[in-house]
Amino acid sequence: MNELPQQLVNGLLLGSMYGLVAIGYTMVYGIVQLINFAHGEIFMTGAFGALTVYVYILPDGTSMLIALPLMLIGAMVVSVTVAVGAERFAYRPLRGAPRLAPLITAIGLSLALQQAVWAWYPEAKSARPFPQIDGGPFHIGNVTIQTGDIFLLIAAPVSMALLGYFVMRTRTGRGMQATAQDPDTAKLMGVNTDRIIVVAFALGAVFAAVGAVANGLKYGQIEFKMGFILGLKAFTAAVLGGIGNIYGAMIGGVVLGVAETLAAAYIADIPGLDKFGSQTWADVWAFILLILVLLFRPQGLLGERVADRA
Amino acid sequence: MTTQTTAPKTAGTPAGDASGLIGIPPHIGRALATGGGVLTVVSTFLAWTWTAEFPGDLTVYGYPGGLQVLVLIAGALTAVLGLASYGIKGLRWLVPAGADGALKFAALAAFVTTWYTIIAISTQLGGIVNLEPGGYIAAATTLIALLGSLALPFERPEPDPFDPDDTGWERFKHTTSQNWQTVKAAFAAGTPRPLRALPSYVEILIIVAVLAVALVVFTYGIGTEYDELFVGFLITAGFGFAALNRSGLIGQVTQLTARHQNITVCGAFIAAACFPFTQSDDQYATLGVYILIFATVALGLNIVVGLAGLLDLGYVAFLGVGAYAAALVSGSPSSPFDVHFPFWAAVLVGAVASLVFGVLIGAPTLRLRGDYLAIVTLGFGEIFRITANNLDGTSGPDLTNGSNGVSSIPDLKVLGFDLGIQHDIAGFTIGRFANYFFLMLIITAVVVLVFRRSGDSRIGRAWVAIREDETAALAMGINGFRVKLIAFAVGATLAGLAGTVQAHVTYTVTPEQYLFAGTTPPNSAFLLAAVVLGGMGTIAGPLIGAALLFLIPNKLQFLGDYQLLAFGLALVLLMRFRPEGLIPNRRRQLEFHEEAEAPAVLSKTGA
Repeated sequence: MNELPQQLVNGLLLGSMYGLVAIGYTMVYGIVQLINFAHGEIFMTGAFGALTVYVYILPDGTSMLIALPLMLIGAMVVSVTVAVGAERFAYRPLRGAPRLAPLITAIGLSLALQQAVWAWYPEAKSARPFPQIDGGPFHIGNVTIQTGDIFLLIAAPVSMALLGYFVMRTRTGRGMQATAQDPDTAKLMGVNTDRIIVVAFALGAVFAAVGAVANGLKYGQIEFKMGFILGLKAFTAAVLGGIGNIYGAMIGGVVLGVAETLAAAYIADIPGLDKFGSQTWADVWAFILLILVLLFRPQGLLGERVADRA
Repeated sequence: MTTQTTAPKTAGTPAGDASGLIGIPPHIGRALATGGGVLTVVSTFLAWTWTAEFPGDLTVYGYPGGLQVLVLIAGALTAVLGLASYGIKGLRWLVPAGADGALKFAALAAFVTTWYTIIAISTQLGGIVNLEPGGYIAAATTLIALLGSLALPFERPEPDPFDPDDTGWERFKHTTSQNWQTVKAAFAAGTPRPLRALPSYVEILIIVAVLAVALVVFTYGIGTEYDELFVGFLITAGFGFAALNRSGLIGQVTQLTARHQNITVCGAFIAAACFPFTQSDDQYATLGVYILIFATVALGLNIVVGLAGLLDLGYVAFLGVGAYAAALVSGSPSSPFDVHFPFWAAVLVGAVASLVFGVLIGAPTLRLRGDYLAIVTLGFGEIFRITANNLDGTSGPDLTNGSNGVSSIPDLKVLGFDLGIQHDIAGFTIGRFANYFFLMLIITAVVVLVFRRSGDSRIGRAWVAIREDETAALAMGINGFRVKLIAFAVGATLAGLAGTVQAHVTYTVTPEQYLFAGTTPPNSAFLLAAVVLGGMGTIAGPLIGAALLFLIPNKLQFLGDYQLLAFGLALVLLMRFRPEGLIPNRRRQLEFHEEAEAPAVLSKTGA
């Protein structure tokens, strides 16, 4: 049985990865009220973008210190390209269509992206190993942090700070806030809403790419179907934090990650639930958490509006 | 958006010049098309290739085989439509909406099927030297017929003037869309003549004939033995259907069936029930029963997605709940319960179990926006699979036997009739799968009944109202949550019902049968694709969509690894270009194409 602090740190790490991906859901939703189901696949393509840079572009044996920033850039380029392409060619023509239409498009897109990687990426039919950072695990007190998690530990707060600065301080960021509040009025005030929507998709993809690299480093392998469950979890995190709220996404992610980790570790100690405790049930508990949140606090922890904008 | 509103076209005056797409004089074009059609028919009686290596044996003079039969049909259609376009007395009934648009599609059907065959022969056998004169003749005659038909005059759309401020790219887009409009107009149909009143027994006879033709077409499709023939079948059937649609015949049949709805539905079921009798062995009855399961579940999903507008992405999990429930009480040795319920009780258990899960999932989510339902059902589909995998006794309580599933589910005995063994009825041998086909047909009938009756009821109208504008519907006093929950629960129950039969048909239920996206239907992605492809909110749509989506991967082995990719792209493209599906629900069509004119009367559910 692991100690509680260790479990909390594990949950925090897992949760900040969920949070990074959840930002993409929440930003797009906040601006166009669309659940971009394909976001999980954007995350997945980012991971493969990073792998491509390491395996096929950089010379063998490049130090991870040099390789990691380049991999990050590769992941971002691929993710952003996919996300912006999806926005331009699949979602934009459907703006104003009945609500069901973009949802079905998103499902189709998600399926197509997943299968495209499966079919055409070299040896992607089974999991591919992801490069690892050398060096042993770090011990702080009685908490152990794996080397792969160091990246996440640094990247998640830094990205959040940058995002906060961008949204609050820059012109485009304020344009995003304006578009989220009222797209028509924003347009009248001279905000190019089409551009803002593209920026929202692109930014979401950037954070998904960071999350994808973190995921690869954490688990040591990436797979064509990795985006599906992670996308679901990230969406849960976004709902948990209050969809449409970027800080909510991060907080929701952390809460979800901690809850999942603790559930896997301690539920078995509850009398009568002794068989529901292992890691295999973690996904189920995350899902039950989603249902409970929707039942009792559908506006999420930070309470962004969920009302229909007519 | 640079589109400008054009001035409304004044009726009666043809806009622009009335020439064809190709600069051949129209009367010559018509003669070429008709003559080409006749010669195409003749060419199918010649040998197209010298060796029987190409499947279907196209080497015989005087006897068309394989793909030649399809070309023969398409050629005959071209010839008949060509003759009808001359206004010959006895053929006028064929073309109530004018023959020209239909003729183009018929010629296209013959042309594409023939050239596909020719190219397939050349590539498979290595070079065009393998063609016999018959092949060349067929290629030439179909080309002549196509060119001739394209020369037929049509009403060109009014050109939309350029915006002088347009950039080069906008200009290019503008021209492209203009050209596309012209091509569309070339293939468009005229206004159909009103349907003449016929004695009702004649109308019913016509419906029976149409259903018989549909049965023959379906049986032919399911029995195609090699890839090329199935591709040819799809080409001929697709373009042939388009041709008949343009000729106005389909529209008239639709009017007839709308007049005799109950007879049509009963007739369709009788036609479907005839299917096992057309088969000599159980091989294609197997396909039949799987298609029927898939189609029934798709139809159930259509209540949820098509009528109520709720996107359920984990629908297959409800099928799984029903299947597992039935399997656990079936007396299977791997079930922890040592019980063997009779069929009616098992059906009840399966349906109720699905209902309970439907309400459990629906109640928290349906109060919120529809998007939440989509993601929660997606999650539920995945969770169901994980849970079924875990309940194996080691990582959880022992219930479902984990990834091995509940196996050796015994065959059903209904009223002393053992569905597991062969029966001889009136000289026909009815095998195991044919037995289940009949049982499944009853379930399908139940689902169709629920769909029609609920769709036309107070609740059904409330569903449509909610789907089209929830805020307005709520303002009109509809209890949105209650009505949506009913739709969701009904959908779940029907899936559970189908699941109980599915468990017995497949002998084994495993978690891997109920994926979100897998290579074998039914799974949630395929189901959604079937509903969207066929047409949301209709009965015939999902049935046809499911049949196509089952047969295409089953028949076209080369598609194999790419089918899911193709389906994903197909969903995206369908939503972009034809969101109403193959068989549009009229109200739905209006919703998706706001610019279209509203017809005077809408049928009740539009189905």
